[in-house]
Amino acid sequence: MQQANRLRPFFENITFDRVDNEMVLNFGPQHPSSHGQLRLMLHMQQEQITKAHPDIGYLHRGMEKMAENMIYNEFMPTTDRMDYIASSSNNYGFALAVEKLIGLEVPRRAKVIRMLLLEINRLMSHLFWLATTALDIGAMTVFLYAFREREYLMDLVEDYCGARLTHAAIRIGGVPLDLPDNFITDLRKFLDKLPANIKDYEDLLDKNRVWLMRMENVGVISKEMALSWGCSGVMLRASGVQWDIRKEEPYELYDEVEFNVPVSDKGDNYARYKLYMAEMRESAKILYQVADMYEGTPTELMAHAPQYISAPKLDIMTQNYALMQHFVLVTQGMRPPVGEVYVPTESPKGELGFYINSQGGPYPYRLKLRGPSFWHTGILTDLLPGHYIPDVVSIIGTTNIVFGEVDR
Amino acid sequence: MRAYTPKDNVQKKSYYTDRFWVAPQVAKSAVSDDAVFAADLDAIKAKFDVLDAYIQVDQMVVVIHANDNYAVLELLKNEREYTQLSEMSAIDWLATEGKFEIFYQMLSMAKRKRVRIKCKIDEKEAIQSVEKLFRCADWSEREMYDMFGVVVNNHPFMKRILMPDDWEGFPLRKTYPLQGDEFAAWYEVDKIFGKEAREIIGPENRDPARIDRYDTKRFARLGHEVPFGTDISQGEPDTPLVYQEQKGVFMVDKFDTQKSVVISDRHR
Amino acid sequence: MAQHQVNYLKDGGLPVALTTIDKVVNWGRSNSIWALTYGLACCGIEMMASGASRYDFDRFGTIFRASPRQAELMIVAGTLTKKHAEFIRRLYDQMTEPKWVISMGSCANTGGMFNTYATVQGVDRVIPVDLYLPGCAPRPETLQYAVMMLQQKIRKEPASRAQKPKRLM
Ligand code: SF4
Repeated sequence: MQQANRLRPFFENITFDRVDNEMVLNFGPQHPSSHGQLRLMLHMQQEQITKAHPDIGYLHRGMEKMAENMIYNEFMPTTDRMDYIASSSNNYGFALAVEKLIGLEVPRRAKVIRMLLLEINRLMSHLFWLATTALDIGAMTVFLYAFREREYLMDLVEDYCGARLTHAAIRIGGVPLDLPDNFITDLRKFLDKLPANIKDYEDLLDKNRVWLMRMENVGVISKEMALSWGCSGVMLRASGVQWDIRKEEPYELYDEVEFNVPVSDKGDNYARYKLYMAEMRESAKILYQVADMYEGTPTELMAHAPQYISAPKLDIMTQNYALMQHFVLVTQGMRPPVGEVYVPTESPKGELGFYINSQGGPYPYRLKLRGPSFWHTGILTDLLPGHYIPDVVSIIGTTNIVFGEVDR
Repeated sequence: MRAYTPKDNVQKKSYYTDRFWVAPQVAKSAVSDDAVFAADLDAIKAKFDVLDAYIQVDQMVVVIHANDNYAVLELLKNEREYTQLSEMSAIDWLATEGKFEIFYQMLSMAKRKRVRIKCKIDEKEAIQSVEKLFRCADWSEREMYDMFGVVVNNHPFMKRILMPDDWEGFPLRKTYPLQGDEFAAWYEVDKIFGKEAREIIGPENRDPARIDRYDTKRFARLGHEVPFGTDISQGEPDTPLVYQEQKGVFMVDKFDTQKSVVISDRHR
Repeated sequence: MAQHQVNYLKDGGLPVALTTIDKVVNWGRSNSIWALTYGLACCGIEMMASGASRYDFDRFGTIFRASPRQAELMIVAGTLTKKHAEFIRRLYDQMTEPKWVISMGSCANTGGMFNTYATVQGVDRVIPVDLYLPGCAPRPETLQYAVMMLQQKIRKEPASRAQKPKRLM
């Protein structure tokens, strides 16, 4: 039984324009392969797209406004919900930005743990990308396989911070917890199996005729276009620009570990797919190295800066002054110096940047989140025309956009 | 007397600030400290007015006149190898100066340097679009318009991007409250059911801490479910977690905890 | 000729099971809940995880359908924004009777942590909800428990009568 409402039925999905034989097709905002809430208005000549208008904002939740009304530590869980496939990388981006603003140096063990979390998140994100893209293109098996591996990683993160999806596992100035006892062994166990798993996916997809037809020479992004659209991450590297912030502007311990930055100059879907697979191997390589670093680091987890960061729990419970500091920091919040900072990090999707303008108050005056997916969605405007309807899905798939980050 | 709340900035403020507290500054250094930046700055200075320039947290900040924005970005892109515009947006200074500050965050991959170009415009002033130089500005400028109401000249498609087209107000202005105004509060109700339905549906509940533990119409606690609308103010019956009805279900195997396998090693 | 007397009802000799139509229909309904994929935000990822290999939603007969016309359960998984509200109502109207709604996660229940201008403060302002499940994000187990609760609810409902329109609030 329908309830009366004002929404008039209209044939919103398809409009036939009889004059020039052009059809307007509405895709989304709720479409299983639009990776969230993307709405595309496609103008078409028969099967071919002549014009594309991505319409976003269906997941705009007002994060930047929230940031202006929250103390710095309070905002940390909100960053989780940006790129919710790899939450910790957002946490890290924000924490790093605030640390740069107040000029903090993080203890080495915290750095190691952060590196582990970051790379685990990268793996999680790439596996999820593989799963959903394969599913969109019809490869259900790969979806099930990739989710299986992703669940192991989720378990690892859950062991560490207790949450599967929204981790909030990193604090400004360090990390809240030490690794649980069996974390490193579990991680190694997983990593040992990973190459065989990746090989499984590749065996299923690499030479698969359907996969090749939907991927090769589809969605070709030229170098100029990628640069002009502000692409970053795999989207940029697939178009022949060797730019990985982990390598070029190293943060954390990325200058101490050995890894390659895979690039390709093809710029099509298939190149992006290959890069994701290669990056998973590189991530595993980094994880092995970082896991070795963990042993023997001093046990401090949080930076020592009483003005900004609460003391360790033991001190708070035993020392009067630490308790007072903690009380002030929790109720009023830290007050970073006046100034502004833009800090880019390489998230699994690309360049994740946090611009913070602080006026010395406990609330940021302006916080701009640069989610890489925003521009990767924008590029669809120029990328889709000329392609056919089935290509839309595979192109959206390989751009790897997440709408928490696009709309914020 | 009611406490005075400023109308030009309704964002949350710290409720207590020490009288003698002076906010420290993030260190700025002279541009001449860095040879690469110095050369870039000289190139800009040769053609344009530079109001201020310094290095803060490893990035050069250059303040220019708002009407030079296109030309400066063109110079940086074509001659100084700043090939990417990684971010741009506005900052609302209407409450203090009556101006918007616009910043362009540029990246040079060849030099591994980042530069921030900043300029200020008045509230009613428009700014020149840089969409011709960087396609990504297309969306950023639309977002800036959507959030702040900064109009951009020569933009191909100046329309709201994040908020719906029929939205009123510019959410990121400091005068706009976090929880929205009257229009925002009733937006979905007005649109779907019409204004008449406001009474029936009622206002939004914006109090995150509101819990009515005797409300059995909206919520039930797991393991404490009672029939809809039961009065539980006199204590409530305990119901255990049930996966199936007690008697079992027609044509479905009965769930038996004894027979189910508990997996202790998740990685097996 | 020997006279055999078979008591069909007593010895289980009758090759059919006796039951009410209600039970049969409800058995069918409750064990083949087809859900509309309504992943809006982070909770949608957990919804996908419940459908994937480890949690395996199919054993409840729950299969995700992309079209509202083929679905009877709408799992609203994620933040509903004001811009999107109109579409959720539209899709809800397009679903065929009988239909149920699970509101997954605190965003869908109450707006959750996003107490802002852009978020609808609870999907129940727009569509009637049968089950609220708490959590941010709720684990897949929680979603599966919710589906089991929904099955119980369906079994209790009379199957033959047309559903009354649900109250919005
Ligand atoms: S309830 Fe939490 S996890 Fe779910 S959509 Fe909202 S913010 Fe995301």
